Amino acid sequence: MGIIMMAPAVLFLCGFLVFPVLSTMVNSLYRDSPLTGREFCGLDNYRRLAGDGQALDTMEFTFIFVMASVSLEMAAGVLIALAINRVVTGRGFFRASVILPWAVPTVVAAIMWKYIFNDQYGIVNYLLHGDSLRMYSAWLARPSTARLAIILADVWKSSSFVALIALAGLQTVPEELMEAARMDGAGPSRRFFRITLPLIRPALLVALLFRVMDAFRVFDLVYVMTQGAPSGKTGVLQFFGYLKMFPEQQYGYGSAVAVVVFLIIAVLSVILVRTLGRRMMTE
Amino acid sequence: MAACVFLSSCGGESRDDGVTRISVLTWRPNSPATWQEAIDRFHERNPDVEVILETGPSSSTQLHDMLSQRLRNRDTSVDVFVMDVVWPPEFAEVGWALPLDGSFPEEERELFFDGCVEAVTWKGSVYGVPFFLDAGVLFCRSDLLEKYGLPVPETWGQLVAAADSVLKGEDDPALYGYSAQMAQYEGLICNMLELTGSAGGSLMEPESPEALRALRFARDSLVHLDGMTPPGILTYREQESLELFASGGAVFHRNWPYAWALCADPEMSQVAGKVVISILPRFPEGESVSALGGWSFGVSAYSAHPDEAFRFISFMTSEEVQRLFAAEVGKPPARRSLYADSLVLAANPHFQEMEAVFENAVPRPGSPLYPQVSNRLQGFLHSAIGESEGSIPAMAEEAGRDIREILDRLEE
Repeated sequence: MGIIMMAPAVLFLCGFLVFPVLSTMVNSLYRDSPLTGREFCGLDNYRRLAGDGQALDTMEFTFIFVMASVSLEMAAGVLIALAINRVVTGRGFFRASVILPWAVPTVVAAIMWKYIFNDQYGIVNYLLHGDSLRMYSAWLARPSTARLAIILADVWKSSSFVALIALAGLQTVPEELMEAARMDGAGPSRRFFRITLPLIRPALLVALLFRVMDAFRVFDLVYVMTQGAPSGKTGVLQFFGYLKMFPEQQYGYGSAVAVVVFLIIAVLSVILVRTLGRRMMTE
Repeated sequence: MAACVFLSSCGGESRDDGVTRISVLTWRPNSPATWQEAIDRFHERNPDVEVILETGPSSSTQLHDMLSQRLRNRDTSVDVFVMDVVWPPEFAEVGWALPLDGSFPEEERELFFDGCVEAVTWKGSVYGVPFFLDAGVLFCRSDLLEKYGLPVPETWGQLVAAADSVLKGEDDPALYGYSAQMAQYEGLICNMLELTGSAGGSLMEPESPEALRALRFARDSLVHLDGMTPPGILTYREQESLELFASGGAVFHRNWPYAWALCADPEMSQVAGKVVISILPRFPEGESVSALGGWSFGVSAYSAHPDEAFRFISFMTSEEVQRLFAAEVGKPPARRSLYADSLVLAANPHFQEMEAVFENAVPRPGSPLYPQVSNRLQGFLHSAIGESEGSIPAMAEEAGRDIREILDRLEE
């Protein structure tokens, strides 16, 4: 009976999760393109990946992107949540406006940021240099500033997600505790680090987990804003995998990239979930 | 039930009414009305065939993604598709496009430009019928050249010198010397093929002295010369580069012939009546080179109605329809005869002088692995001209090696 009751969930999981992941793993062991046909090649695709300069460039930027954007989002998200938590009138309105960037589809946000950083009529150039057109620079044309622009776009969009979860955490902080701390003469920063932060840490760890997983899968921002130019310096792994899989039709090689992304995310999630679990237990 | 859904989702099936439906996949046209007009005329003369037009993305790369996915899955719901000039070797080698040698015979092919026919030919067979072509041309601000007594530049050096004189004279911070397509995408390859070719080099050998010369010129005299190109040139595709030129922001502009109609339209352009079109400059010891672009029609190998499909293709590539597209949309016809056609020339007076450019346009390297070669080249070219400090010879050597490795993989 138990087996029957569980069957739908298990079948669903197998059909939509286990099977695609396994079949991508199997595909990554083949050299497979419409031209050459499909032939088993062992770990050749992975060996090739390790020696592919463009892949390593995208790998580097993927890690930079994840670390920079997620840490900025965590900081900005908590600040936004703290600010909104203090608002007494119109809290609903503020809360709704915080979700707004999160609700904008990433492609739309990416197009918007592409305009913001445009070399001719972008607002960033206008704010920095006013009417001195010759001072205008093309943010998306140079690797360093283009990387910054992509990170900023992600921070703008995803801080609101962290803020939302942090806000939910903040509502569980008992007012009496803060009152008592205040009576004991604890200043605002002491109250934040000694009371608020430890109490909302579980919520923040959940937000962190989601953000790290999500940031590793970034694709659309890069696709719209730079297409990885120049030569993959602003490319991310997922975009590199797309290039190999679709325009170049190297299904095996593209699958190997997808598997690497999957493994990185899986390992990181396990680490995060374990720390998360332990923290929850001890506190 | 599932079978019903499956069947009804397939195009191209005959129903009881004796009408054969064929499905045609093309990019999202800028000119849907002209397409409709052509299809209406086809229906009038072929009451037994109904054409279902399916429009895909307007970007060539995205259309290639979509079409190759469907053909890979042996999708029978596409009978006819458009092919970019670089696709036929791949489509032929993989077996997605039907060979058309019998229905598109030698004597018929001679009526088209050689470059267009060469582009649809792979290993001695033809796999498509050319629809229209494209070739890079130079747009110049005739009013500014006249004002400073400058001729239309014949060499790249003259172009930079002329732009420099105009920029110094005008002293306008919103005016740049040259606008072109240098984002990391297919268009960059066309732009660099023209520069490299006009120095006597080839993109497939980027480490040759001729290719290096062209790359250094692009980097030092176009991209990184202050005021010569806008700062965003490395992110510009056709649209951005044309917007700049049409708003009066550049003295010279490289684009495809379609830009002519937009530049000449006073509602879209601030430079209407102040533009002349010319062949692209060259290096002193080289010849002017235009990259060949353009599209052809092919028949899917999985089509259930290849005969009807070919009937549609031969109608779309007929003199009548090419004339229609040339006159209404400014697409340069792939058929030679139309360059003496009064209706076509009335709408596109520049076609007459451009015939030689179209005749000599250089195709990009033909290979079934072109998408891989292209991605590698795009990355190399963008880094080489974008990084003012980088070592071009070292990058070129690496790119050349990689490209040969990709092509060798096919031999295995």
